[in-house]
Amino acid sequence: MIARLSSWASLGGRSLGSELLIGLTLAVVVLPQAIAFSTTLAGLPSYFGIYCAIWGVLSSALLNPSRVFHGGPNSTQSAVVGVTLLPVAPQFGPDYIGCALTLFLLAGLIQLLFLAIRPLGRMLDFVSEPVANGMICGIGVYMILKSFPTFAGLPVNTQVEWRLWIAWQSFLSVLEIGNMHAIHIGLITLVVTIVARQFHALRNWGILLGILAGTLYSQYLNAHFGLGETLVEQTANISPAGFVYPSLPLFAQEAMPDIISIIPGAVTLALLGLFQTVAAMRMMNRKSGQFVDARHGIFADAVSNCVLPFISALPTCASFNRMSLMQAMNTGSRVAAASSALFLLALVSFFGEYIAIIPVPAMAAIIMVVGANMIDWSDIRAHFEHRPEAIVFSASFLSVHIFGLFGAVICGSLLALAYAKWEKAHPNVDLEGNVLRIRGNIYYGSLPVIESLYHRANNDPRFEELVVDFSAVHHIDPEGIRWLAEVGKNGKVRMADRRSGQDRRGDRRGRVGGPTRKDRRKRQAL
Amino acid sequence: MRPLPAGWAKALRLALLFGALLGLYALAVARHEERAQIREQAVVLTPSCADKLDRYGLAAGPDYVSTYMLARGWHPDPRRGYSEQDVRAIQRGCNIIDDLQGQLATDPGRERWNSTRFVRGTHTSCDHCHQGIGDKQTAAGVPQTGSLSLGASWVMADMYDQFTGILLPFELRQMQCYINSSNGYKPNVADDLIRDVTAYSRFLAAALDLRFGNRYAEQGIDEVTASSTLKRGDDYVRGAALFKEKCARCHGPQGLGTVVEGKVVYPALAGPNSFNHQSRNNFSFVSTILPGFICRNMPLGEEGTLSNQDCRDIGFYVSNLPRPAGDKEGPLAALWNQLMMRVMPPMIHAVETWRHADTSGESGA
Repeated sequence: MIARLSSWASLGGRSLGSELLIGLTLAVVVLPQAIAFSTTLAGLPSYFGIYCAIWGVLSSALLNPSRVFHGGPNSTQSAVVGVTLLPVAPQFGPDYIGCALTLFLLAGLIQLLFLAIRPLGRMLDFVSEPVANGMICGIGVYMILKSFPTFAGLPVNTQVEWRLWIAWQSFLSVLEIGNMHAIHIGLITLVVTIVARQFHALRNWGILLGILAGTLYSQYLNAHFGLGETLVEQTANISPAGFVYPSLPLFAQEAMPDIISIIPGAVTLALLGLFQTVAAMRMMNRKSGQFVDARHGIFADAVSNCVLPFISALPTCASFNRMSLMQAMNTGSRVAAASSALFLLALVSFFGEYIAIIPVPAMAAIIMVVGANMIDWSDIRAHFEHRPEAIVFSASFLSVHIFGLFGAVICGSLLALAYAKWEKAHPNVDLEGNVLRIRGNIYYGSLPVIESLYHRANNDPRFEELVVDFSAVHHIDPEGIRWLAEVGKNGKVRMADRRSGQDRRGDRRGRVGGPTRKDRRKRQAL
Repeated sequence: MRPLPAGWAKALRLALLFGALLGLYALAVARHEERAQIREQAVVLTPSCADKLDRYGLAAGPDYVSTYMLARGWHPDPRRGYSEQDVRAIQRGCNIIDDLQGQLATDPGRERWNSTRFVRGTHTSCDHCHQGIGDKQTAAGVPQTGSLSLGASWVMADMYDQFTGILLPFELRQMQCYINSSNGYKPNVADDLIRDVTAYSRFLAAALDLRFGNRYAEQGIDEVTASSTLKRGDDYVRGAALFKEKCARCHGPQGLGTVVEGKVVYPALAGPNSFNHQSRNNFSFVSTILPGFICRNMPLGEEGTLSNQDCRDIGFYVSNLPRPAGDKEGPLAALWNQLMMRVMPPMIHAVETWRHADTSGESGA
C-alpha cells in the first residue's frame, strides 16, 4: 500500500510545479474538445463532455498506473454516439439522452467482458505500432481539417461520407465565406502559440498564451464593433452545471426495441475505446520507458465507463492528442492527469464566466496545434525504412480518412496480420547440392513452397540421396509432421537436424578437442 | 550538400509555416473580395426566372405589393420592400432553382456560386422536383397541391421534420436536398448558395401572400400511402410495365434521362446522375413520397391521370433501379452501387435487345 502511494506521489524527477502546469495546460486543452465533442459530434449537452473530462480523467488517473495517460472525451467515440443514436430519437431531447446513457453503460459492460475474458483482451494486442502510428497521424490531420470551419466562425459539416472531400470543401468555404474577424482571432491564437513554443521557458505555456491572446483580441473587437457586428461565437457559460449531475440510463419496457437496435453501436463504442487505450498505452510505454500492462488500461476504462453513465458523462478512453502533449511536456507522474481534472473542475466552478468569453475560433486554433503535435516525423521516417511497415502505416493513415477510425484499426491490423502470415508462408528454402535446407516454419501455409522445391530435388537424377535439413525450423504444425512422415518413407531421403546434439552427448571425450571426424559422421547419419 | 545547422533549419521551417499562413490569408482576402464583387454585379436571369419575377413584380422599393395577387383581384397589405441587394439575392436564388448546373449561364462558376461543386451528377437541378421554379401552378394559375412549393415550405420553416423528428431549419432542409436528392455534398449553412435560395423562397411566400406558420396544400408532397390504395401490395412487374408505358419515353428505357446536345432535357431517375438511396424519393427509404410526387406531377402535361396504386407500383420499380449509395451507407456500399450502376444498364440493354430480336424473329416465322 505504502509502495503504491509512494509510486503515485513520485514525480519522476519533475517538480510539482511543472506537473501542475502540465495539468493546467491539459485542462485548457480538454475544455474546448469536451464542449465541441459533446455538442457537435455526440448531440448531447456540453456538460456531458465536461463531466467526462473531470470525472473520467480523474478515475482513469486513479485506476491506471501509467504516468503518461489521459482519458476523457474522445472525438471518434463521440461521433459513434451521434451516428448510433441519430435514428433513435431527436438530438438533445430527453429520449436521446436516456438512450445515450444506456449506450454508454452497455459499452462499459462490454469492456468489462474484455477484462474478464483474457483471450478477448489479448485480441486487442493485434494493433501493431505502424497501425497505431498511422491512426495517430491520421487523427492529427483529421483534427486539423475538422477545425477549419470553426476556425473561420462557420458551422461544422457533419456529413460522414468522403471525409477528405468534405475537408477540402470546408477549406474552400473558409477562403470564400469565412468570418474575417474569426479568422483574425484564430490566426493570432495560432501565431502566438507557435512563437511561444519556440522559447524553452515558454514552451509549456504556449497554448495558454495563445488562448489568452485570442480572447483579448476578441474582447477588443467586441468592444470596438459590438458582438452583433463581429458575430464571433463564444464558449457557453457552464458554471451553473455544478459538480455532478446524477442520471439514470433508460431501461424502460417500451424503449427495448431502441435499446436492442443500439447494441451494435455499443460494441463499436466499447471496442473503439479499448483499441485506442491499448494502442496509446503501448506507444507511450515505448516513448516514456515505463512499462504498464495494457490490462490496467482496460480495467480503468471498463470500470470508469460503468460508473460515468450515472453522472451524465461521455465514455472515457485514452486520448492520443493529449497524451502526445503530455509526452512532449515530459510528464513525470500521474499528478499531471489528476490535477488536470481538478483544475477543470475549478475552472468550470469558479471561472465559468471567464471561460464563457473564450472565442470558439481560438479553441479551433488550439485543436489545430494539438493535431499537428500528433504527427511525429521521426516515427514516420522509421516506418518508411521497411516496405511492409510503410504499407501498413500508409493503409491505416488513409483508412482513418476513408473508413473512419474503427475501419483504420481493422484495415491496419488485417494488413499487419497478413504481412506476418505472408512472411511465415515464405520460409527460406534452398537447395545446396543434395541438401535441402529449410529455415522458418513448416505449416499448412508454407508447405506448398517447401514441397515444390522438395519434389524438384527428389526428381533430379543427379542425386542418389537427398538430405532434408530442418535444423533452423522453429515450428512444425500437425500437417507439417504428417508431411515429414511421408517424406521419411522415401528411401532416397535422409533427415538432418543439427540441433539435437545427441552425437556430442553420446561421446563426451570428443568435446574437449573440438569436433572429431566420428562426430561429423554421426551427425550426418542423423 | 552539408545539412543546415539545427537553429537555421528550425528558422526555415518557421518561416515556411508563417509564409504559408500569410499566403492563405491573402488568398482568403482575395476570395472574399471576389465574392463581394459577384454580390454587387447585375444578375442575368434565365428566361423562366425573368418571366416569373416580372409577373410577381419584383423591384427595389420601400414597399412590395404582389402583382400576382392584384391580377387575381386580391388586394393584400403592402409588405416591406426590397433593397437592390435583396433583389439581386432573390434573382440569384431563382436562377439556382431553375438552373442549378448553370447550363444557361455564360460563367456557371460565378453565376451559380460554384453550385456544381455540391452536386455529383450532371443532371440534377432543384427545378426537377420543385417544378415551376419552386412554384408550380395549374392551368388556372393557382398553386398545385403537393408540388413542393418553396414559398409554402418557407412559411413552415423551422418545423419538426416528420421523418427524423429533428427540428429542421429551412437551411438545413436544403442541405438534405444537396446530400441526397442531388447525391452531392453539404454546402456550408452560411454559403450564399443557401442564403440566396432562402431569399427567393421568402419572396415567393410574399408574392403568393402566404402567411407564416400556416400549412398550405402546395407545401411538400401529397403523400400516397398504402392505405390510400386497395391494399393489393406494391407490384414490381406492374410498375415495370407502367414505367415502360408512361415514363420511358422521356426518362429513357432504363431511367437514365435524356440529354440533347449536352443539355439535360429529362433528368435521370437511375444511375450515377440520379438521387441516392437515402433520398426520400427512394421508395424503400420512404414509401409515400415518390408515389405522391408521381401522382401529382407526372407525366408532364397529364398530371393526375395515374391511380394511387399505379404511382406506388412505378415508385417501387424506379427505386429498385441501380443508383448511388446514401451518405451514411459507407464506402463499401458506395463502391458496390457504383459497380451495379456501371454493370447493370449495359447488361439489361444487351438482354432486352436479344429478347427483342428473338421475339421479332419468332413473329416473323
